[in-house]
Amino acid sequence: MTKRFNRRSILRGAVAGAGVCVGVPALDAFLNGNGSAYADKAALPTRFGTYFWGLGLTDTPLGGSRWVPETVGRGYEATPELISIKHLRHKVSVFSGFRVIGDGKPNVVHWSGHAAILGGEAPARNRVMAGPSFDTAVADALGAGMRFKQVDVAASGGQSACHSTRNGATFATPETTPLELYQRLFGEGFQDPNDPNWTPDPSIVLRRSVLSGIAEQRKALISEVGRSDQLKLDQYFTSLREIEKQLEIQLQRPEPCEACEVPDAPKDLGNSVTIDVVNANSKMLAKLLAMGLACNQTRVFNFVHTPGTSITYIAGEQKTYHQITHDEPTDTTLGYQPKTSELAGLVMGAFGDFLNEMEAIQEGEGTLLDHMLVMAFSDTGYAKIHSLENIPVLFAGGAGGRHIAGQHIASKGEPITRLSLTAQQLVGVPRGEFGMGAMRTSRPVTEVMA
Amino acid sequence: MTGAPVFRSRRSWGANKVRLDMRRRLLGVLCAGLFGCASPSVETTADVGAGLASQASAGAGAGERPDAAPDASYAPYQDKTAFNAAYRRLTESQYRNVIADMFADAVQINARFEPEMREDGLQAIGNRRLSITTSGLEQYYSVARSIAEQVVTNKARDALIGCGADPEAQAAADCATAFIKGRGQQLFRRPLSAPEIEGFVAVWDKARTETGDFDTGVQHALVAMLMSPDFLFRVEAAEPDPAKPGAHRFDAYTIASRLSFVLWDGPPDAALLRAAANGELHDEEGLAAEVERMLASPKLERGVRAFFTDMMQFEAFDTLTKDSLTYPKFSQAVADSAREETLRFLVDHLVARDRDYREVFTSRDTFLNRTLAAVYDVPYASAEPWSRHTFDKDSERSGVLTQVTFLSLFSHPGSSSPTVRGVRLHDIFLCVATPDPPPDVDFSKVQALENGTVRARLIDHMSNTGCSTCHMISDPAGLALEHFDGLGQYRLLENGEVIDVSASIGGQTFSGAQGLGDYLSGHPLVPACLVRKVHAYSVGRTTATDEYALLAKQQEAFAGAGYRMKALYRTILTHPNFLTVRPPEGVPAGPGTTHADTSTRPAASGGGQ
Repeated sequence: MTKRFNRRSILRGAVAGAGVCVGVPALDAFLNGNGSAYADKAALPTRFGTYFWGLGLTDTPLGGSRWVPETVGRGYEATPELISIKHLRHKVSVFSGFRVIGDGKPNVVHWSGHAAILGGEAPARNRVMAGPSFDTAVADALGAGMRFKQVDVAASGGQSACHSTRNGATFATPETTPLELYQRLFGEGFQDPNDPNWTPDPSIVLRRSVLSGIAEQRKALISEVGRSDQLKLDQYFTSLREIEKQLEIQLQRPEPCEACEVPDAPKDLGNSVTIDVVNANSKMLAKLLAMGLACNQTRVFNFVHTPGTSITYIAGEQKTYHQITHDEPTDTTLGYQPKTSELAGLVMGAFGDFLNEMEAIQEGEGTLLDHMLVMAFSDTGYAKIHSLENIPVLFAGGAGGRHIAGQHIASKGEPITRLSLTAQQLVGVPRGEFGMGAMRTSRPVTEVMA
Repeated sequence: MTGAPVFRSRRSWGANKVRLDMRRRLLGVLCAGLFGCASPSVETTADVGAGLASQASAGAGAGERPDAAPDASYAPYQDKTAFNAAYRRLTESQYRNVIADMFADAVQINARFEPEMREDGLQAIGNRRLSITTSGLEQYYSVARSIAEQVVTNKARDALIGCGADPEAQAAADCATAFIKGRGQQLFRRPLSAPEIEGFVAVWDKARTETGDFDTGVQHALVAMLMSPDFLFRVEAAEPDPAKPGAHRFDAYTIASRLSFVLWDGPPDAALLRAAANGELHDEEGLAAEVERMLASPKLERGVRAFFTDMMQFEAFDTLTKDSLTYPKFSQAVADSAREETLRFLVDHLVARDRDYREVFTSRDTFLNRTLAAVYDVPYASAEPWSRHTFDKDSERSGVLTQVTFLSLFSHPGSSSPTVRGVRLHDIFLCVATPDPPPDVDFSKVQALENGTVRARLIDHMSNTGCSTCHMISDPAGLALEHFDGLGQYRLLENGEVIDVSASIGGQTFSGAQGLGDYLSGHPLVPACLVRKVHAYSVGRTTATDEYALLAKQQEAFAGAGYRMKALYRTILTHPNFLTVRPPEGVPAGPGTTHADTSTRPAASGGGQ
């Protein structure tokens, strides 16, 4: 081993920034005391992802909350709907009480919440955002040199379930099945970082030059079109450039990754949307995604468990989760909707599984989860009334040591864009403020920032 | 521009034709020496034909020779007052049809396309907002490489490319150039400009030189064309309107594409491109003749299928799922068959038999396969995969609303939904949109599904003032369809109680699906809505307020023609309104404005230079 890789060659790769993974082996001598960074300050890569689930969590006027911990700060207790992350609470921060301020815009049900979190402003109408979703800014900051700037995944809801957009109108198409995600990450174009016999494919140079030629020849088009078409063409050329970059990366010897183990092709589970199938699908997708991150294929992802109007349901029952949130009467004894809360717990069970997959991969002295930040959120607070108040948000992972995790932060109705800003700053996006109008903020939640 | 009259009288239209003819002759003389441009002379036609003659047999559909179009060696378009009015991403079916028209069965496409976006009831409207994301373009790239590989490895390779695999140097360059001109014209739906041809030939040359392989060069050149925005987007180009100084009109190739994508859901054929090159599409009679020819083509079926796939929101099929315990008969095969049934029914009724559109809501005729027969609970005796079927009078099946498609698409996974069915019925067939419910509405009085019928549960909505405004409209139509469960199977009971299918809308009382069908077939909004949607689908945008008077006239014409779909296409597509450019935001289009040099785009002859 030491004959193939010495400390210098590994660190050279790390400092260069592009294509960096953890060297083989990441000898402890290279690392600082807590294993979070190389001794000469070259940090292990930080990853970022959004995790979305539909229909919020249960929080009723009469029965209190099924998810907001009573304890504020460190050592919060596991509430019934967050029971699935109980064992990882020290790596997860819970944010309650943040809200979307409409600024006179209507509450576009099952859209305004996450559209404001991601786009920085309450949207004017459905399936449109005020601007780019902020995950694309993170992808620009962290994804340079990656094969994929970002990867989008949806465990249910189909190809329209993803919320990532560069222009507010065209949304990323997610991979919706394990096989699709496998093919994107590990199919054609994937280079095993640990393959000792790697050689560049000479045909790629030619392929890349063909794409460059299109860009050069066609850029002239942009000057002669209307404004919205300019945005469309910009997006197209950005995409074209991304594919060129993917080819460039295939010409470089990939850095070895100790944690990378190329998985076998998975089998799809069919398109049933019963909660057990959605959760099983979600778990398989999470496992593949975790390995994609460990194998250095991307550093940014958007993961959708269920869309806003989630039609997942318990097998054999007639009503979907979305219907139940609206139709189910509040149990007068319990003070909340029992079936809704049961489904919320099942949905959050998938988030627990998701984090388990990230935690299962060792990197340095820590885990993949320690070197990433997952911002998990929903479209609504109390789903029964499409509330835009108290929308649940969770930050999971150490963000490479920058996130002081394990806290419950309780707000009294501050704009939820503060959390969007905090997330971006935690993973190193150079951004001092985020959002527009009443949602504009320059104040991150410093309590969770190291 | 917005102040310009939408209509042009027939007289001025005719006068314009005379001027056009004169201009065309003059232009032919001017251009012939300078650029070798514009006029589609016999010589230049033959030039392209020589290189592509062999494509016809293996390539495009029967009777259409891609070599029949005029030469591509046009001069660049020099008028600085031209601009591109719209970029529309090709839909999945349009992409597939372009490739199918070029390579027929020689090429298979196995790919995932990015989803469309619906706006004002149609994807054809939302489509103008869409671009291509990285993952979307990755898919296009993968398809492009696959298509190119299939072409050079196909057993009909020589015919598809136009020469053998190892031609001599000069023959190789000629063959590659002819291939790029011919296939480029099919892909871009217009002739390529000289710089474009040079660019793609350079791609071929570089790849061939580096690899020593002619076919590798062809593959790379084809991939480059397939990845170009000119192929992936429908570019709608505007040019100054010679009849109206300061105003703009679509150029001839844009009109050709607008026609073919509406009527055929695919690219113009060689004859249509030829008509564009000759200036015929800017001529009233020439345009009418082309529309007539296209309406008579078998490809019209593709256009009608694409329109109703959009109008009836068939993207819902992509995520359609049913609870397997509640609906054990449901499967992907049922979903696929249901979709096909509805499209076969509509094409047969509206195209093959050219019948009254309103009968779509009352007809008991349909097409079944064995899978669907099981869901409809009727015997299937035919040996063919599909056969015509007429439901019994007492089956309660009555038109498109009682097909599995509508009934299952607009239900929940485990139950029917009168509200969803009613809302979608109004949206799709009456152009009446239902507002979203108030965000904080209290649904808690709606009881559990285990008891009684859905009617009793919905009574609360209809008696609650906050809800009733919408539910009084949406629910009755849906309740009339309650003899069909969430999959579309016939039933008389729900939870052991007899289902009441009586309904009252706007003072009219009727019962069941047949009553609803009769009600809709006599409803004036039903044909009016179709006219509005075909118009918006054709122009690719929401109908503007200054077009309402025109729409009313087109609705009258539709009625006058006995509500025939083909007549409706004829009315809309031959009207000057269809050719009128509305400049996009950011492109000033007043008199004297100038725009960047559109050097990438050639002009058709007969234009107004």
